[in-house]
Amino acid sequence: MAGAPPSPTLPARPTGFRASSRRFGSGMLGFWRVLRANPLTLVGFLIVVVIGVVAVIVLVAPHLLTPYGSDQLTTDYNQGPSWAHPSGTDGVGIDIYSETLYALPLDLALAFAIAGAAMIAGGGLGLVAGYWDKPGTIGGGLSVFVMRVTDIFLAFPSLILALAIAVSLGRGVWQLIVAVLLTWWPYYVRLVRGETLAVKHLPYVMAAKAAGVTEGRIVLRHILRNVLEPVVVYFTLDVGTVLVTLSTIGFVGLGLPYPSQAEWGSMMSYYQNAGLITALPWTVLGPGLAIFVTVLAFSLLGDGLRDVLDPRSRRVLAGSSADSTSAATPPPTKEEEEAEKAEVQETDQPVDSRALGPVGG
Amino acid sequence: MPDAVVSIQHLSIDYLVAAGRFRAVSDVSLDVPRGHVVGIVGETGCGKSTLGQAIPRLLPEPPAIIGGGKIMFQGVDLVKVPLWKMPLIRGTGINMIFQEPLNSLNPAFRVYDQVAEAVHIRRIRESGRPVASRAQPGPYNYGRRPEPTPSDVWSGKFTPGGAAASYAHRREVERRSRETGEELRREVLDYLRLVRINDPETILNLYPHELSGGMRQRIMIAMALSEKPSLLIADEPTSALDVTIQAQVLTLMKELIEEVNTSILFISHDLGVIAETADELGVMYAGRMVEFGPIAEVFESPRHPYTKFLLRAAPTRYKTDGPLLSIPGNVPNLSRPPPGCRFHPRCPIARPKCRVDPSPTLMPIAGAGPEHTSACHYAEEVPTLS
Repeated sequence: MAGAPPSPTLPARPTGFRASSRRFGSGMLGFWRVLRANPLTLVGFLIVVVIGVVAVIVLVAPHLLTPYGSDQLTTDYNQGPSWAHPSGTDGVGIDIYSETLYALPLDLALAFAIAGAAMIAGGGLGLVAGYWDKPGTIGGGLSVFVMRVTDIFLAFPSLILALAIAVSLGRGVWQLIVAVLLTWWPYYVRLVRGETLAVKHLPYVMAAKAAGVTEGRIVLRHILRNVLEPVVVYFTLDVGTVLVTLSTIGFVGLGLPYPSQAEWGSMMSYYQNAGLITALPWTVLGPGLAIFVTVLAFSLLGDGLRDVLDPRSRRVLAGSSADSTSAATPPPTKEEEEAEKAEVQETDQPVDSRALGPVGG
Repeated sequence: MPDAVVSIQHLSIDYLVAAGRFRAVSDVSLDVPRGHVVGIVGETGCGKSTLGQAIPRLLPEPPAIIGGGKIMFQGVDLVKVPLWKMPLIRGTGINMIFQEPLNSLNPAFRVYDQVAEAVHIRRIRESGRPVASRAQPGPYNYGRRPEPTPSDVWSGKFTPGGAAASYAHRREVERRSRETGEELRREVLDYLRLVRINDPETILNLYPHELSGGMRQRIMIAMALSEKPSLLIADEPTSALDVTIQAQVLTLMKELIEEVNTSILFISHDLGVIAETADELGVMYAGRMVEFGPIAEVFESPRHPYTKFLLRAAPTRYKTDGPLLSIPGNVPNLSRPPPGCRFHPRCPIARPKCRVDPSPTLMPIAGAGPEHTSACHYAEEVPTLS
């Protein structure tokens, strides 16, 4: 290495810096501080954690939480809420509380799988379509094609389309996943493509190009990391929205067949159809409350997650003084204002229009 | 010129716009000698930034189109190199610093990650294919390689700036570099110290938004230098900084030119900044290079009317009498450039010859230094211009 930099003039000061844990450690610290600063996010986060733990327990050792097994018939019929049956029982003696808990892992897994697959598939397409969109090239043609297909899918009301696909496919877990997923990916294409288009013209992308970073690395590192933040926020909110849509499909009677497979929407549908909603309201209340709490938790968490993921607001919110002693914090630059604007636009996006389903029955 | 790092020959760049072709750069020739700082001045819209971005092929093509000419870099004409090969030439071969120091660092990554990426790119290249022959041409130099051709670049035989030989090799380098993360970090620290950043160990862990503009620009410079480019294009690197920071950054760059052996193409609209840094000065007007020469000569006896007016329009602390001079008329619309010399509508010494095509190119001047050239038919009259 000829012409190496001159020997350092300052002696290396030993610090606690470790290259491997650098980002993660500080990121977790900022995460906790932001959570402490936003009580609602903290509540959302805690509920999500509890829901996750409960789901795992139900999967691994259900008897710790549920007094009765799945499909186990008790001798108590038509009981109201009591200590023995927190959410009552139905006409054949099924404990609604146990049954609701048994449905939790499946509902969570479905919501995460659908939103996650939509994020990966749609996001990947959006990234490619957004970055390589120069007209007249292969990428440009692909970009136009992807966007037109996306437009076609978005032209249908997503719930109606999902219902139609669910009808044609029949009832079952995979059919349900396919039905919702097919209507779900275009939103991520739009979101990620828009963000990519905004980010790829920023000076730092040009600077990365000038530094000799290859195109693939620019997309996968420099652009993806800057696009990720709104996408992850959207994903978190979306888990709740998917859950609502799944429940809606179940509630209409196109979801999983309830007595054999427990799913919140189908449970509500089953008891409502049986005419129990007035006679035994707790049978509907149990799964309804479960949907409500889960969706609410993910919404609260998603809102606060934006602050966690953005390094700028993370430091400000966290009030971290340890790391930034010698650094001046400049006034918000044009780019930051643009980012804020983009966020405002982003939150105006389709979440509302899709969450119109009958939340909680 | 044999020892030119980059030699631009008759380069023309057009932008395709709704009104037709916007001739941003027309027939510009320029050599950047090894180890020199070449300054380019000109008013806004004269094509200097377009020229700077065209050299590493960073212009969006289209709308920009390289209409003709050559950009010879280490024996390869960059105009003919396919765009997807250019990332291998950028960085270690030709690097660039932009005028927006505030936005040129990725806001999502810490300083360490960004500088380390640059160092990493250089390591991969250094360990790969040897950099193009630096051997001087001479009668007894048998080590000199044959000049590479664009087809060599296509086939991957040769990459200006040097790149890793194969992906397997590249992976090997990456693996080794992960093992020596501590060493990488030390080198990053060295470069931050090189650009006079105090307490680099703390700065490493910060995000760009936590740094001041001057700091960010110094980190940009550290990143550019850590790749040890043959040519560094500085596109108004200090325009966005306030005067004191500007002075710091300029002083730093001047010192660094000697410490890291690199040539610089320094683009600015600020004559003071150029006078501070450059060895040679090129003056651009309406997409053309109108004067080129050693900086002292151009400043002391400009041989193009535009240069003369430009120098006179610059405020100096000695000028106390009367208002600042401004050049009458406007910059021509480059979608329909005037025939002949592009300055003739505003030129006090224009004659019928000046309105005739083709417009003059840089010519040696009678009565001036051998390296001083001007694109004026009546260059010898300029010193007498009042």
